[in-house]
Formats: sequence, structure tokens, C-alpha cells
Amino acid sequence: MIGIGEYHIGPESMMAIGLGSCIGLTIYDRDRRIGAMVHIMLPESSGRTDRPGKYADTAVPLLLNKLSEMGCHRSSLVVKMAGGACMFEYFGNNLNIGERNVEKVRAVLTENQIRIAAEEVGGKAGRTVAFYPDEKGKVTVRSADGAAHEI
Amino acid sequence: MDAIQELGNIGAAHAATTLSQLLSSTVEMSVPKIKTVDIAQLASYIGEESAALVVFELQGEIPHGGYIIIYISRKSAVQLTNTMLGLTDPDRPLNEMDESALLEVGNIMASAFLDATAELLGFVMLPSPPALTIDMAHAAMQSLIAQMQDEIDEVMLFSTELVCEEHKIDSDIIMMPETSTLKIFVERLENLMKSS
Repeated sequence: MIGIGEYHIGPESMMAIGLGSCIGLTIYDRDRRIGAMVHIMLPESSGRTDRPGKYADTAVPLLLNKLSEMGCHRSSLVVKMAGGACMFEYFGNNLNIGERNVEKVRAVLTENQIRIAAEEVGGKAGRTVAFYPDEKGKVTVRSADGAAHEI
Repeated sequence: MDAIQELGNIGAAHAATTLSQLLSSTVEMSVPKIKTVDIAQLASYIGEESAALVVFELQGEIPHGGYIIIYISRKSAVQLTNTMLGLTDPDRPLNEMDESALLEVGNIMASAFLDATAELLGFVMLPSPPALTIDMAHAAMQSLIAQMQDEIDEVMLFSTELVCEEHKIDSDIIMMPETSTLKIFVERLENLMKSS
């Protein structure tokens, strides 16, 4: 279980429950069969360094560097993303954090010349994301009505 | 801390009274709990279960004071609107009529909570227009925390459970103030205690 702002790297299954505007980002290394997952809450760290997993601009480089240190090659990474919903339109007016999270993750990945293999983002509903590095990096998304599907 | 608890107590007691009047039935209230929760641990406090959340921003003298959340499990939400609308099927899906009823109940409860706490503190607190979601509770709470004004790693939750045994309705009234709002609460309460 990966809480808000937390991340994990390894071969075992991981899960981030109840993503609203948050993002669950998964990176699977096809060669080494390990995965990395982070539960991002906000787009910009604005210089904060104590919780790098919490912000899109620090979380993405954090995972890429950790994987690179472990000997993973960029060309074998499969990146998937889910979340970034807008659950409260009324309060969302000028600060759609979900959308900004999605855009920031995309931008940082583009800077690193990595494309997103699959994503399920936006909308109004919450999501629970499960990641299975031991099953070829399978990623499933489930909503409140309970139906899980692979992305 | 005792004074803050008392603040929650008074607010929740008023909300319980209005809910009791609405349902024409007894509503029991738990002792208010104050919890400081690290955001990474939020899931151990509020899970992915489906619930109705009626949410209000705290407004008034403090423009963005935090949030008041009326949390009703999905099952209880059906029981609640069934009681209000004179229906009986406990397994039916929620529709637009239920949504208006839930918004209305939330509105009445949040207003009662804020009227009582504001009177004690001596300044105006008003609920914003309500927003309703019927979805994963964690996802809704997380979305609110992400858009709080103060950048935080911990949230303080004032939570009181309101239970109506007769109609099997279980709800929580949760106040999640901004750090700056909480400071104002504490200052006001300290002054009150000094002057009394």
C-alpha cells in the first residue's frame, strides 16, 4: 500500500487506493522485472525536498534516477498513469489540481524522452490502482462500483 | 486541546439536534475525536469505501478556512433519504432526488455546526454552497487536502459520529480546518478562557 506522497520500488505487488486528484504513476522495467510506483498529490514542489514523492516535478525524476542506479535502461521502461480526477467542480474552479498533476507528469516525462504506454486520467470519479511487476507489469484500475480493468 | 474538543462538541451537538428533528427520531452522538493524521497514513483512517460526502468550505471572516464534511456511508445514505422521502427499499440505487435530499441534510447540519461554533468563538463562519460526491471516501478527502491553502503534510480532523439507531443511519461530521484557521480558533479560545 502506497500512501499519499510515498513511493516503492521492487518486484512485489503495489497499490494506491482512493486516488482523487492524486496520480498513481507506475514504471515497469521489462528487462529486470521490477517496478516503481509513486502516489503524487501536487504538481509543483516549489523547492521542498522532504517528500519528493508528493510532487510531480520531483517524483518522476526520483523514480527514474533510482531505477537508473539499479541498472535499468530507459528503453525498457513501461510507464503508466492513472488518477487526476476533479471530484468537486464547485471548489475546483480555478485550481483543477488533478488536471495540473497530469500535465506536469506528462511534461516531466517528455523532458526525459519517455512516452506514456497507457493512462486513465481525468473525469470526476475516484480510482484505486494496483500494480503487479510479477505479472509483466500489469496495471489495473478500479472505481467505486468495484469493476477493475487493466490499462 | 480540551477547549478545541469542546468547540467540536458544541458544533456536533447542534448538528445532532437538527438531524434528530429532521428524522423525528433520536440521534446519539459520540465524543468528538481530534486526530492529527499524516497524509501518507490517510488511508488507514478513511478507506476506499463508497460514501456520500457533502462538503462545505469554511467562509465568512476567514475566507478559506478549511472544510466541513458530512460523511455518510452509502448504506446509511439510502436509509437517510428513504426516511426523508418515505421510501423503504434499502438496496435501491441513489438518484437525483436523493442527491438533493443529501445536499439539504448536509446544509442543515453544517449550518447548525457552524452557527454554534461561531457563536462560541465570536466571529462569523459561513458554509459555502455545498458540493456532493458519492464515491470512494479516500479519493474525496484526498482531493480536498490537495486543494487546501496551506501546504501541509498533516491534517487535523475533528470528527464526531452521529447515529440514529431507529433508522440505522450512521454519519460523521468532520471539520478539517486550515492550519491558519486552527491558530485563530486556539487564540480565541484562550482569550475566552482568560476573560471568564
